[in-house]
Amino acid sequence: MMIPVRCFTCGNVVGEHWEEFKERAREGEEDPGEVLDDLGVNRHCCRRMLVSHRDLVDVVSPYQ
Amino acid sequence: MTEADFDVEYVERDDRSARVLIRGLTPAFANGIRRAMIADVPTFSIDTVRFVENSSVMFDEMIGLRLGLVPLTTPLDEFEIGDTVTLALDVEGPATAYSGDIESAEAMVEPADENVPIVELKEGQRLEFEADAVLEAGKEHAKHQGGVSVGYRHLQRVSVEGDRGEFDDEEPRILRGVIETPEGEVVATDEFGNDLSERYPGKEVRVEDVPGAFVFHIETDGSFTVEELLLRAIDSIEERADELRTKVAV
Repeated sequence: MMIPVRCFTCGNVVGEHWEEFKERAREGEEDPGEVLDDLGVNRHCCRRMLVSHRDLVDVVSPYQ
Repeated sequence: MTEADFDVEYVERDDRSARVLIRGLTPAFANGIRRAMIADVPTFSIDTVRFVENSSVMFDEMIGLRLGLVPLTTPLDEFEIGDTVTLALDVEGPATAYSGDIESAEAMVEPADENVPIVELKEGQRLEFEADAVLEAGKEHAKHQGGVSVGYRHLQRVSVEGDRGEFDDEEPRILRGVIETPEGEVVATDEFGNDLSERYPGKEVRVEDVPGAFVFHIETDGSFTVEELLLRAIDSIEERADELRTKVAV
């Protein structure tokens, strides 16, 4: 639903990078790998948290 | 204990992550320090939440879980295990509630990261709560762990054995961690792409572990600095040893 606060595997805080990642790699044209390098998300366990995430608040909110 | 001759050197050093080379450790003691950093150094974390209003798309429990994972700055000199600090948040949609919106009753204990989204609020939705953060150790709950992916490797000594055979293929020699060069320099392997054939092209090299020398990789979640984490871990080992001594002496 919302981006998880921390990486499931290592416990590093990844939530803070989501909005910049979304803006640059999802909505923008930049390469996701390069954006993650730039954000300092180095381990592949943390990278998958951002790469595989999908916001669902907009999908769920009409059914409140 | 026999006369220990420790030698500490920072290979890389940042506020939240560092690589520290420590010489003169036994493997058991190195592991003791690692475990103390993970399980015994306490941090503040939200533990109880009293919701005033939550009309967001997420349940109270889901928000409570997210709040527990937000790292809080922890001045360990000022607080003891079990101490609580009250925090509060009040955000009305349309807006996103961020960890930075959380207000603390204690200026020293506040969210370490300001941009962690808690929940996105639509028009007419509101999130208001009061929460208690507790100082506890990582062994009570993983959310209280100050150290993130704390580990160590042996320091590896690289020695040049001579030239590579004239007709041998140049093969990559992948190595990770920190090496000690024949000149006595301490170099992280990512400086030369983790490949020894890049640094010593055309040479025959041998790699061996340096006994008693460990390179710790330490990261914190922002609760305190790496140095603080390491010092507190060592303190906690000392405290337990002292307690054991007084119990044995009686």
